[in-house]
Amino acid sequence: MRKQKTTTIYLGPQHPGITGNMMVKLEVDGDTIVKAETHIGYLHRGFEKLMERRNWLQSFTIVCRICVPEPDPNEENYARGVEEIEGREVPEKARWIRMLVLELARIQAYLLWYGGQSASVGLYTIGQWSIGDRNYVLDLFEELTGGRVYHMYIWPGGVRRDLPKGFKDRVYKVMDYIEKRLDDYDRLLFDNAIFQKRAQGVGYIPPEKAIEWGVVGPPLRATGTKSDVRIDEPYEFYDQVEFVVPDFYKTSDVWARALVRRFEIRQAINIVRQVLDKMPEKGPVWNKIPNPHKWRIPRGDAYVKTESARGEFGYYVVSDGSQFPRRVHVRGPAYVHGITLLEKILVGQNISDVSMIMNSLGTCPPEMER
Amino acid sequence: MADLQKENLLLEVLKNHFNDKIFDLKVQRHQRVHLRTTTEQIEAVLLYLKEKLGYKHLSHISCVDWIEENRFELVYILWHPEDKINVLVKVDVDRLNPVAPNIDYIWPQANTYEREMREMFGIQFPGLVGRKELILEDWDDLPPMRRDFDTLQYVMENFEFRSGREDAQNVRETIAKRTGEEIPEFAKKYSR
Amino acid sequence: MNRAFNDRESQKILDIIKNFARKNSLFILAYGTGCGAIEIPPTITSRYDAERFGIRGAATPRQADVLLITGYLSVKTLKRVIRAYEQMQDPKYVMGFGSCTINGGMYWDSYNTIKQLDKYIPVDVYINGCMPRPEAVIAGFVKLQQLIQQGKALGWKHYKENLEWYRQNQQKVIKNWRMPDYNW
Repeated sequence: MRKQKTTTIYLGPQHPGITGNMMVKLEVDGDTIVKAETHIGYLHRGFEKLMERRNWLQSFTIVCRICVPEPDPNEENYARGVEEIEGREVPEKARWIRMLVLELARIQAYLLWYGGQSASVGLYTIGQWSIGDRNYVLDLFEELTGGRVYHMYIWPGGVRRDLPKGFKDRVYKVMDYIEKRLDDYDRLLFDNAIFQKRAQGVGYIPPEKAIEWGVVGPPLRATGTKSDVRIDEPYEFYDQVEFVVPDFYKTSDVWARALVRRFEIRQAINIVRQVLDKMPEKGPVWNKIPNPHKWRIPRGDAYVKTESARGEFGYYVVSDGSQFPRRVHVRGPAYVHGITLLEKILVGQNISDVSMIMNSLGTCPPEMER
Repeated sequence: MADLQKENLLLEVLKNHFNDKIFDLKVQRHQRVHLRTTTEQIEAVLLYLKEKLGYKHLSHISCVDWIEENRFELVYILWHPEDKINVLVKVDVDRLNPVAPNIDYIWPQANTYEREMREMFGIQFPGLVGRKELILEDWDDLPPMRRDFDTLQYVMENFEFRSGREDAQNVRETIAKRTGEEIPEFAKKYSR
Repeated sequence: MNRAFNDRESQKILDIIKNFARKNSLFILAYGTGCGAIEIPPTITSRYDAERFGIRGAATPRQADVLLITGYLSVKTLKRVIRAYEQMQDPKYVMGFGSCTINGGMYWDSYNTIKQLDKYIPVDVYINGCMPRPEAVIAGFVKLQQLIQQGKALGWKHYKENLEWYRQNQQKVIKNWRMPDYNW
């Protein structure tokens, strides 16, 4: 019998195929991965510690930095957690605006994903297109909130300011444009034989184990499970808009996950249109909070969650009755996807597929280590 | 307001099965159930919830440091994919001798959470495998997420700041000084 | 260099040509060290198209000219950054990106991030903002190009000459120093 001999390969932290600043240590036999181990901690800033030193309003400016590709679910989660403990009401219009921001954030996250996923199989054109088009969404954010990436817009009690004049028309315009462009992306990515050949059958998650392993979001829906926080536990006004949760792609590989995202970006555009139609014209957007230095939240805890572009984003907020949060613990989808799940499903795959699988799982280091 | 039928039913089932081993049961709101148990019972409770009641998905394991009450509070958050209920199971761990049972045989992803808690709070989980260092590297101070670890003091001892923050504490005054502008008397108390 | 070009005048001309060539092909190391990395894809893709300035990505430190420190650096990453920086070939340039590299930014009281980047590696250009927009990034690159053309972007020489001082600072933060020597 041949003696098994494996080589150790360190993929990252400086590696063009890694999604962010993390490392995957691979034991390979030839080109086949025998064992994978995720090393994280390169982006640890100690957010949860910092929040203990900041008051409830100051903390809101740092929660959005927890997840870089889509900061808005963080803001929304934190705001809703605080509101739930305090029992603060949110004006109706503010809740519609929150939904608008969340769906726009989903669209831009998926556009970024298009770029990452296609670059991981060596198709760079689509990244040039989709990330270029993503700028139009970021422009909307900039007009609405003042920031391209970090918005600090959704805060406890509502949102920071009302929609600017003529904003709705511009959103419609951008949505029409992106919807048109999505067909171009399809031709480039989903009709491409390279991607079809490479993505199918790679990175398989066994559907019967998926829930147990903590899979959420698009990877879980790609196993054929109908699971979406927006349906399971409707927050804001998600029970008043119509959308379809894609549970009809059942192959549970990179290809199915790509198809789920392809379907969902269209759904998100649809939701944005519905939100704009249903949003009331006038009304307050913020229930004023007291002086932030004296703003005490009664003792209590709340677990709130949002469906982000990568899955269930949960915040466990604990208050001890003082001006400062006792604990804000973030549950990012990548915390499970990027560590235990990735280590499991990489076994048996090729080295060249690692980047593709990581992209399809939506691995995002900053939210793993916070 | 949605009815709390499912939530109350769950409480009944749990009460009948565990009697006085679980306490502080409450329905916080629609889809949220809280309960508290002891470190001896936690594995039994979690296994019962997972295997018998179908709480298959482990959403989160959190840890809260209640330093005044000398305890760590571990919070296991489970999710039922069909009934759509989040159960928050809380356990108190003694702060001076923090040992909690290892549950990564129930959910594999618990391994990461426990390793993080071991590193960030110093809670020991007997039988937990995996690298000692998950996030930090060569850390030799107190576990950083504990309340008694003072991050500001650590920063002052280990890092240096560029000067410039001190003189700019009063932003309004600094700008006024630079531009030679005079701040009226009444506005002075609002400047900052 | 052969003898014909050894006098001062021709050296000057050679420098101008060399600097011109250097400034127009800046290869940035593909290492997203912090959250600022999210603004790099927009910068190098179609709308802002950094390639018209000769800026593009390089996969490994050996091929790269510019090390972009995109935001806060945790102590764990700092070790890797120093390693990556030392592997880069001369001449090499460092850009500090975002407020957190300048003075800690919003992580000023975090136990795990460094506060002043230029204490650990020499920085040629700082771009401030949290986070800097692609225009700001391009402006930073243009500034770097100007410095290179003027022959002022000499952080790499500075690093070699003051290696002792940098090492002292680095080893103060990185507790377990197991790194190869800097010898090229």
